[in-house]
Amino acid sequence: MKLAYYPGCSLKGTSFEYEVSLLKVLEALNIEIQEIPDWNCCGASAAHNLNHNLSVALPARNLAIAENSGFEEVLAPCAACSSRLKTAKYEMAGDDILKKRITDSLEMPYNNSLNISNMLEFLLNIAGKEKIKSLVKKPLSGLKVASYYGCLLVRPPKVMQFDDAEKPVSMDELVALTDAVPVDYSYKTECCGAINSLSKPDVVMALTGKILYDMKEHGADLVVVACPLCHSNLDVRQREIERKYAEKIGLPVLFITELLGLSFGFSPKELAIDGHMVNADKVLEKIL
Amino acid sequence: MKTVINEQQRRNFVGEVESKLHDKLAKCYQCGKCSAGCPVNFEMDYTPNQIIKMAELGMIDNVLNSKTIWLCVSCNTCSTRCPKGFEVAGIMDVLREIAARRGIKSKTEKEIQTFHEVFLDNVKSNGRIFELELVGKYKLKTKHLFRDMFLAPKMIEKGKLKMHSDKVSNINQIAKIFKDFE
Repeated sequence: MKLAYYPGCSLKGTSFEYEVSLLKVLEALNIEIQEIPDWNCCGASAAHNLNHNLSVALPARNLAIAENSGFEEVLAPCAACSSRLKTAKYEMAGDDILKKRITDSLEMPYNNSLNISNMLEFLLNIAGKEKIKSLVKKPLSGLKVASYYGCLLVRPPKVMQFDDAEKPVSMDELVALTDAVPVDYSYKTECCGAINSLSKPDVVMALTGKILYDMKEHGADLVVVACPLCHSNLDVRQREIERKYAEKIGLPVLFITELLGLSFGFSPKELAIDGHMVNADKVLEKIL
Repeated sequence: MKTVINEQQRRNFVGEVESKLHDKLAKCYQCGKCSAGCPVNFEMDYTPNQIIKMAELGMIDNVLNSKTIWLCVSCNTCSTRCPKGFEVAGIMDVLREIAARRGIKSKTEKEIQTFHEVFLDNVKSNGRIFELELVGKYKLKTKHLFRDMFLAPKMIEKGKLKMHSDKVSNINQIAKIFKDFE
């Protein structure tokens, strides 16, 4: 099966650490992926906020290119991208008129046949737990890890068709494979404020602060995510939240692929963990 | 608050919302579950269930000028939990689109609206997001030149801010998509 890779804009910019680490991990798992040729932005939140048809047409171009290149499966590691690609597929399946308008505009045949996976789905379904477990050379024993799912991996469930929308477990299962300890806490699927980070920073810091302090109170050493925007809000804004609420957090935020990579024996540098704003050295000393 | 409602206007508005939403406003029985779980309810002027009822009543100006429609972050907690399966997050998209098409600029949440507009412009011209340009243009438009700037030096040091854009080669096709659907 030919596996397509839709990186999206964040993985080529502010969240380059996610791409570096997922490429390392997939190489170790011996899974070959190919970038969708000449892919474009999925439109993200802006498109569906302002123009429904555009929010379907923009991701549809990527899906059509992938389908016409012979791919059957698309990995979209960014939770927002995977949500927009899945939503476009869902909308076109239920709206023949819009689908025809889009294929006419793209001047490409399109059957809406691709399967789209977020990072967690891809790791669990394509690689599988056994294979992942077999590559763990450096068990992360004793490390307490809070998995943060946020919104778009699981909601809305009728479109995402992944895990449980209120109590997801897939990321915790991946964490457990590394021998780290999954931390139970209250806000696994509470929103971090998402795209309003620049336009409504006070609201975003209130939401993100609530999540981070709750993880801390439940004993987490670090956080894992599978979304660049969640990462950005939890990591880049953390110092400011500490200042605002005058209480230290000090929680490094890793992508799930970085945590798996560490357990596979890659160094933090190979996984670009030094690219994060919150320094992870002290926490990782415990296990490395 | 306007209390006398023009029935014809009301019906037209409900028709417009429902045809874009592919759902019926009357489905909502006002239990309030959407508003209870909304993570940004504390900032809103009307709760999500109020917005649904107001749209159904034809309180067009109140709805299209509300803070709520722009504050909604589309986390979809509401739609996921709605016992009637109503598209709560979906109606926020529809109302934002109608407001934008009518040229209504949010007075209280113009930064959120502007961010989305600048973001889409960036997609239109590059096919992909060029983050530095996006942030620069957003700051110029909102005149918040210095807010968050303290983050920039460390982000550059970490390699998070790319200095060049990475355009889609077939930019004509992107232009065509915008032309056909804008």
